[in-house]
Amino acid sequence: MSDIAPIDFAPLIEQQEAHGLSRPSLSYWQDAWIRLKANKRALVSLYLVIGLLLFTLAGPLIWRVDSAIQDLDQVSQPPGTNRSALVVDDYKPWFGDQFLAGAGLRLAEEATSQAVRVQWDALPGASGHRVYRNLFPVGEERAYGIPLAEFFDVNTLHFEDRLDLKRGRYYYSVVALGDRGELLDNFEMIEVDVQRVTTIAEALERGLVDDGSELLVGDQIDLSWHPLGTDYLGRDMLARLMAGAQVSLFIGIGAPFLFVLFGVVFGSMAGFIGGKTDQLMMRFADFVVALPFLLFMILFKIAFGIGPGESGVFPMLVALVLLAWPATARLVRGQILQIREQGYIHASQLLGAKTSYLILRHMIPNTLGVVLVTITFAIPSAIFTEAFLSFIGMGVAPPTPSWGSMSNEGIKTMLITPHELIFPALFISITVLAFNLLGDGLRDALDARMRNTE
Amino acid sequence: MNEASTTAITTDDRFTSSAGKQLGIYALYALLALSALIYMLAVAAGSTGSTGASGAIDVVNNAITIALREEPPQLDANRATDASSHVVLAHVMEGLLGYDFDNHLVPGVAERWEIREDGATFWLREDSLWSDGVPVTAADFVFSWRRVVNPDTASQYAFILYPIKNAEAINNGQLPAQTLGVTAVSERVLEVEFERPTPYFDKLVAYLTYYPVREDFFNSTNGRYGADTDMMLYNGAYLLTEWVHGSTMRWVKNPNYWNKENKGYLDEIRTAYITQDVNAKLNMFKDGQIADTHLLSPMLPTAMEQRWQIDRSMDGSVFYLEFNHREDRISRNKNFRRALQLAQDSTELVYKVLKEPSYLPGVSLFPAWLTGVSESFQKEYPPPMSKLDVQQAREHLELARRELGIDKFPPLMLLTGDTPISLLAAEYYQQLFQKNLGLEFRIDAQIFKQRLDKMRAGEFDLVLSGWGPDYNDVLTYGDLFSSWNLQNRGRYNSPEMDLWIRVAQSELDPQKRMDAFGEIQRLLHEDVVILPMYERGFSFVVDSRLKNFRRRSVGPEVDYNYAYIDVTN
Repeated sequence: MSDIAPIDFAPLIEQQEAHGLSRPSLSYWQDAWIRLKANKRALVSLYLVIGLLLFTLAGPLIWRVDSAIQDLDQVSQPPGTNRSALVVDDYKPWFGDQFLAGAGLRLAEEATSQAVRVQWDALPGASGHRVYRNLFPVGEERAYGIPLAEFFDVNTLHFEDRLDLKRGRYYYSVVALGDRGELLDNFEMIEVDVQRVTTIAEALERGLVDDGSELLVGDQIDLSWHPLGTDYLGRDMLARLMAGAQVSLFIGIGAPFLFVLFGVVFGSMAGFIGGKTDQLMMRFADFVVALPFLLFMILFKIAFGIGPGESGVFPMLVALVLLAWPATARLVRGQILQIREQGYIHASQLLGAKTSYLILRHMIPNTLGVVLVTITFAIPSAIFTEAFLSFIGMGVAPPTPSWGSMSNEGIKTMLITPHELIFPALFISITVLAFNLLGDGLRDALDARMRNTE
Repeated sequence: MNEASTTAITTDDRFTSSAGKQLGIYALYALLALSALIYMLAVAAGSTGSTGASGAIDVVNNAITIALREEPPQLDANRATDASSHVVLAHVMEGLLGYDFDNHLVPGVAERWEIREDGATFWLREDSLWSDGVPVTAADFVFSWRRVVNPDTASQYAFILYPIKNAEAINNGQLPAQTLGVTAVSERVLEVEFERPTPYFDKLVAYLTYYPVREDFFNSTNGRYGADTDMMLYNGAYLLTEWVHGSTMRWVKNPNYWNKENKGYLDEIRTAYITQDVNAKLNMFKDGQIADTHLLSPMLPTAMEQRWQIDRSMDGSVFYLEFNHREDRISRNKNFRRALQLAQDSTELVYKVLKEPSYLPGVSLFPAWLTGVSESFQKEYPPPMSKLDVQQAREHLELARRELGIDKFPPLMLLTGDTPISLLAAEYYQQLFQKNLGLEFRIDAQIFKQRLDKMRAGEFDLVLSGWGPDYNDVLTYGDLFSSWNLQNRGRYNSPEMDLWIRVAQSELDPQKRMDAFGEIQRLLHEDVVILPMYERGFSFVVDSRLKNFRRRSVGPEVDYNYAYIDVTN
């Protein structure tokens, strides 16, 4: 305290940038972008949305499989199933083999997915026989499995099974029937290992080979590859998901853009003009809110002359656009009413700014944040509406898939082939979640009042 | 969970401890309130259906619980058309004749009967009583049958009485109902006059449209006959004592029934559920809530895993693609129909798409279970078949295109029902015809009634249709495509077909009659009137304690008349 030197009283040396800004100047959008980038959830969602768009638009160019083609050799296959098959001769009918060696229940020839041919000797005391197929060996409880056929005479002692044979082990049983067709106690069972086969004609038809002459009976070939498995008619799940994405995203993105655009125009007009006009326009918006969506969807379907078996996606779009805009309109009108009374608006009016300048320079940019958020929240709800409508059969017409209709089909066999439900359901969930989180992040990023908090 | 966390907190300072205690108390309250609510809901749920859930098999009360497919619209046998009404009526009513457990025709209200070329006589038993104790008389049948053919009744099954003299004319409003060829000679004797020889009349009278109705009781119901339990009289093995519409029914053993020793062993049958949802039924069966359910192919692995004893039965009906033969339709062109015939193979549909083990690939309109002269009709008259031949099919399609004088086939309408099986088949055919013939079909999926309406109006090109037997004779299918049959929705019209149907209807020599059916079968194939898809069957499971349960092809689809509970195992 005591050592005050004269140097302390010397004037400061003039500095070059006394009031230089420590950070570069940022526009509103740059700032928003920075804040969006800082939000991990929003960023991941953004990448997901971009990925989804690529999946929808570029996917079908890479994965060139027709979503309608039915590969009936591979029905309801989960992903990653073994798909090697042996090439065999074409199917020929078979009526038993009189001179087949062996006794008891036995195979007449090697079991293939084309046919399993069994033959047996009449069981003692039987007036007929019934053939069963099981996935499990027959135990104490005498559950023989699926009954395949009955023969009410003892002369028919052969049976050919062609029903939905898959690669794997089956247990065939033949059970004696009494005079009245009732089950008797004695039965015979064999284990059968079924091999997957295909024929040259089928391989050609399914495009597995270009030329039939390349293929010989006895060759091993791979059946067509389905990365995400197949559905209940053997259609490729990946191709169907891509085709379904087109429908889902067409509705999901198209409808919100259109109705938000209309809502913005309507709302800003009402808000800017104000007075009686505003009252009238907003009462009209209230009236539209009261209209039931499903009913209008059906009415539009009829009005557009969309018959049965045709896609209901267009009327769905129209119904969504015509009925969903009032929410946006109200939001924008509120904003405009607020902004109209702000000081800077009055200031620029005093400075002679024209209405068009006011709207373009001040009003629209200031409502844009709200509008963007509305869009991102409207997208998932539109996707969900489409999924729901297709789920109840009001949307796409077969064979066109959509995620909703695929879920509807998949739920029927949820326990046995879960992949048919899981994939479309997953896509719906991810899409809806991604758009929601992105919307959430955008709201935070675009809110001008949040600028100070960083 | 909450208790554990609150005890752990007590070591903390006083504030957290008291907060934790409070939380614990709240949690306890919430838990108590929740259990009280659950209990109340359970009680409430129990009180809504007095036939409550007491399990599929109630050994103590000798009762079973089952599920009905749908609510019967009404239980007036004269007007009933749906399967559910048929099931209920077959248990609470009895016709002149009936079927025993092994599907043989046995006496019902009639003790004995005689069928001649020009008519039939039925001698009624004395001890067949209505549920109010009054005997069933011949007059009850006369009243019932006159009512069926009366155009005012608008019975959709009136055609099944057409073998009786004047029935068709009365039904068309040309004659009064009194002129129907049926008379009550005495209380016990019923005389029938035929319009044309009808050797299968004994099988017809077992059908529900022929059930009796008592005139004085009918008049006392003021047109509400069959609408509720007290609006009906019963003469079957069971009585309907309770009917909560849209929910439950209770059938109780009929103390007045004459054949108690051989029919109606159960004291009570409760139909506690009405559902079409097979998955729901499977779960109820798994939980022991219903005595039987049928299985679709996706459920079979579950059934095998549960080690259930799966049974199967043919349902008797045949399903086929029916063409629209009306003037303005493309499907009227025979080459077009031939092309479709050659482009499909019913074995692929059944074995690879539908995958139902109880289905048979369709080969003919006449299913495999029908008997011809002495053995299976299909064996005596092997159905003509065509092999899948895409090349030839395309040639026929090209011919059709040129005959029709069009450049390109417009999109065609494939009408179908809304059941999972028919939707699956429709999607399969849509893609099949697209792939093999390049034809575009649009699927029009409609509920049953709407589909029938559209078929009647001819709003289709191709329809997934089916026909179930009404009586056990080839003719139940044979006259379907006659030009005068209203069930001929595609309006197929060929003099040759009509000729053979007339022969089949009136010929008395069994050999010649079956030959006529053979000709009909040939024509159906050659003219491509229909494309057979499959013969339907059911895989089903029954509670192992319930014996002698039947699924039938003719008559009610499920039959508990002969069922009894056996607990020896």
